[in-house]
Amino acid sequence: MVDYHIRLDGVTKTFGALRVVDNLRLDIVRGEFLSLLGPSGSGKTTILMMLAGFQDATEGTIYVDGHMINDIPSHRRNMGVVFQSYALFPHMTVAQNVAFPLKMRGVGRAEIDARVNRALDMVQLAALSERRPAQLSGGQQQRVALARALVFEPGVVLMDEPLGALDKQLREQMQLDIRELHGRLGLTIVFVTHDQSEALTMSDRIAVFNKGLIEQIDTPRMIYDHPATRFVAEFIGETNLMEGEIAGREGGEALIRLDSGGMLRVRDRAEFDAGRRVLATVRPEKVELSEAPAAINSIPVAVTDSIYQGDHLRVQLQGPGQRLVARRDRRAAEWTPGAKINATFAPEDCWVIVP
Amino acid sequence: MTARLWNRKTRAALLILPLALFIGIFFVWPLGIMVKQSVLDDAVLHLLPRTTEAIAGWDRTAPPTEAMQAALIADLRAADDEKAVGDMVRRLNSAQSGYRTLMTKTLSAVAKPETGPLLTDVDKRWAQPAFWIAIADALEPMTDRYLLAAVDLERNKAGEIAGLPDGASANRTIFIRTFWIAAVVTFFCVLIGYPYALLTAASTGITRTILLTAVLLPLWTSLLVRTAAWFILLQEQGLINGFLLSMGAISSPLPLIFNRTGVVIAMTHVLLPLMVLPIYSVLLTIPTNLMPAATSLGAHPLRAFLHVLLPLSLRGVISGALLVFMTAVGYYITPALVGGAGDQMISSVIAFYSTQTANWSMASALGIVLLVITLILYVVYVQLSGRTSVNGRM
Amino acid sequence: MAGKLISAVFGVLAVCFLLLPLVVILPLAFTSSQFLIYPIPSFSLRWFEELFTTPVWRDSIVNSLIIGAGTTILATVLGVLAALGLREKLNFISAPLNTVFLLPMVVPAVVLGVGMQILYAKLGLSSSYAGIIIAHTVIAIPLVIVSVANSLQGMDTRLELAAASLGAGPAATLRHVTLPLAFPGIMTGAVLAFAVSLDEVVLNIFLAGPGQRTLARQMFATLRDSISPAIAAAAFLFIAGTVLLTLLVLLARRRFSGAR
Repeated sequence: MVDYHIRLDGVTKTFGALRVVDNLRLDIVRGEFLSLLGPSGSGKTTILMMLAGFQDATEGTIYVDGHMINDIPSHRRNMGVVFQSYALFPHMTVAQNVAFPLKMRGVGRAEIDARVNRALDMVQLAALSERRPAQLSGGQQQRVALARALVFEPGVVLMDEPLGALDKQLREQMQLDIRELHGRLGLTIVFVTHDQSEALTMSDRIAVFNKGLIEQIDTPRMIYDHPATRFVAEFIGETNLMEGEIAGREGGEALIRLDSGGMLRVRDRAEFDAGRRVLATVRPEKVELSEAPAAINSIPVAVTDSIYQGDHLRVQLQGPGQRLVARRDRRAAEWTPGAKINATFAPEDCWVIVP
Repeated sequence: MTARLWNRKTRAALLILPLALFIGIFFVWPLGIMVKQSVLDDAVLHLLPRTTEAIAGWDRTAPPTEAMQAALIADLRAADDEKAVGDMVRRLNSAQSGYRTLMTKTLSAVAKPETGPLLTDVDKRWAQPAFWIAIADALEPMTDRYLLAAVDLERNKAGEIAGLPDGASANRTIFIRTFWIAAVVTFFCVLIGYPYALLTAASTGITRTILLTAVLLPLWTSLLVRTAAWFILLQEQGLINGFLLSMGAISSPLPLIFNRTGVVIAMTHVLLPLMVLPIYSVLLTIPTNLMPAATSLGAHPLRAFLHVLLPLSLRGVISGALLVFMTAVGYYITPALVGGAGDQMISSVIAFYSTQTANWSMASALGIVLLVITLILYVVYVQLSGRTSVNGRM
Repeated sequence: MAGKLISAVFGVLAVCFLLLPLVVILPLAFTSSQFLIYPIPSFSLRWFEELFTTPVWRDSIVNSLIIGAGTTILATVLGVLAALGLREKLNFISAPLNTVFLLPMVVPAVVLGVGMQILYAKLGLSSSYAGIIIAHTVIAIPLVIVSVANSLQGMDTRLELAAASLGAGPAATLRHVTLPLAFPGIMTGAVLAFAVSLDEVVLNIFLAGPGQRTLARQMFATLRDSISPAIAAAAFLFIAGTVLLTLLVLLARRRFSGAR
């Protein structure tokens, strides 16, 4: 039996005529790291706000451990929240900030001190306990916020773009730190982000949001390799999209007649009826380039640009009726703009979605 | 609405409630009482309760009934407040000439117990409906005469609105004087305040600090202290006259106090910060490179000023001017202390009616006129400056 | 060059105009003369002695302090509560109330004086401390509301959400987070309320009896009748008090911003 820690059942949030979250059904498994990923305005932060109790669901029910919590105020939900801008209390020291949730729970002074020290040790900030937040760097503030949200041992930790304000290097370090804490403490973490690489790095599962609806919820690998919709395919990473229709089946593979001319062979799926309009997606790193045309899935293209990007080479291509992108190893041959070549890929690297 | 949202709103409402009640009772209610007081006129009604009942069905043309006459006799006999009776007679006489003599005669007649029940026996004039119409009108509990009198108007015998005879009242003169003084003060505030704000916005470092402090310090200083200070400066043996005398610029002291000059100087000083600050805050929002940009495009600095800076800062000037004018119109302390008899503004008249003669109806009527003027100016100010807070004290 | 000179001369003259009155009154507080005029024959503290020993002046100082303290407490409590409540948007209530709460700043004191005089006659509040404190509170409220609302607006609302998520109920959030953070604004509002009460004359003329004569009212009366240097001494007290209060506010703000 799967142990659902949190369940959202038919949750809807409207602001006036705007449906920010629309009839959402979502189960969050105990101990999982779930990312809510989407562009701004997709409703992901609103869901977090409803979970934390800062906003009320217009309709629907939220359950934690099987109990409905809609009418439980924030301060009795026992969820740790890490805010985008950390929301540290500026008039309190680091230690006072971390002690705050324990003080609110009436924990004894000696135990508060012990637990605060432990929490600050965990985020390696014990030396700065008497500083004020304003005297800390962004990364240090972030770690204080983390310690404060964890010190009272909540079952659930909600994080709202907690790394958004950090520079790239620090952000990547914190991603690993938080992942490590998650594994060590067995927490259920709901993590809101608009950064797809962050979601891919950290999550057990990702829920991709668009306009208040979940487009897809799955593991990072499935989300990346087998996007369910055009939105997911385009939002997660870069992709090449080719429009066409199913022309027929042949030996466990489906044939797609591209609108731009030419045929593709892809892995067959049962739901593909002949004549159905489809989108074939190929990730840039799966695109091979060669001077000679390949036997199958070969598209004649002209190189428009070739850009050196350090760890890889990005090749812009103009095919019949559409542009393509290929990502090649940086040691691969550089194609000069104007060269007429062929783009090709294996049938199993092409994923077909319904537009 | 969910229960928790409801709770939050209720909590907010409960937090606001004490102040709402307080302001309702001690701010809105007094203003309401004033409005009521200015249109309420029940003095005669209180004096003649029986007549009020008897006259109710009367059609204002028929000869007075016996009941009306008997009631009036009874009321006049019962009236023991001489001042109130006197007020009533004065009022009736202003509506219908001849009432004074008629009433004198009637009052001495009703003092004798054998008089009655018919007043026509006392004087033939009681048979004329005109005298009874005057009573019927005086019994109306609502009146516009105080409000009309506040702007030197009255209702003539035909009931039309007409001007008071010359010399009967000076309210209009005082209102005009109030506006004039306020306008002159506003003019001087713009004259000094606008260049001052420009200078402040253009300056940097210590200069700007000094200029800003010089504006803020008076604003923070007690109005009385500032007025007292001008007293010291402006009086006959004061510093200004002393300085001018020693320079040989004048041979005898200039009259600077207890006249219009003193009022304008002191009020300009007191209100100048209210002009400088709005202009300054608008000037701060104007990018500093606009003027150099204009001159680099070939505009003469004066033209650049006229076409770039002036239009952009005009909003601040108008805000400041409205603020100064609005505040000046209601001023009391400064004119009372450094002005002469001919420099008193409308506030002094209101204070006179209210504290000296206890004529609350007249004080209320004048107060309402002043209040309405102030509120109109305030609404314009808010519309213009797009905010509801005022940077200053009244 | 000429333009620079003209602006410099104008600036100096304007600063003189603004500051001269404040400067000239202070030394006269220490004159030994009977008159409020320069030159000062010799320095003496006789007018301060007069201020603190003559019953009219001494009582008026005491009255000012009593009424000022009462006004500060009443206006601050009512204003802070309302400013907190006004953060929640209540349909059809918040905006009009906000306007009404600020109106006492706009209505001429004389007008308010007439209305309150009639009301006080009905309620029996004329010539009472309570009546004067209430009247001063009415005109001090807008300043308290504005300064407290400003500091509340400048506050990150997520701090209160954070407090709630950490287990603080509404009361605890208010006590540990909201009020400490709004403290500079509350302090400013309280000082402004005290200053307004100290300086108020018009309402006192309408509402106070001889028993509630304040320092400002006494100065007003003295300026009208017998112009004695006691006024300069009183003005000195006023200015010293203002400077002291301003320093207090600055100190409170400094301490707070140091804490940030």
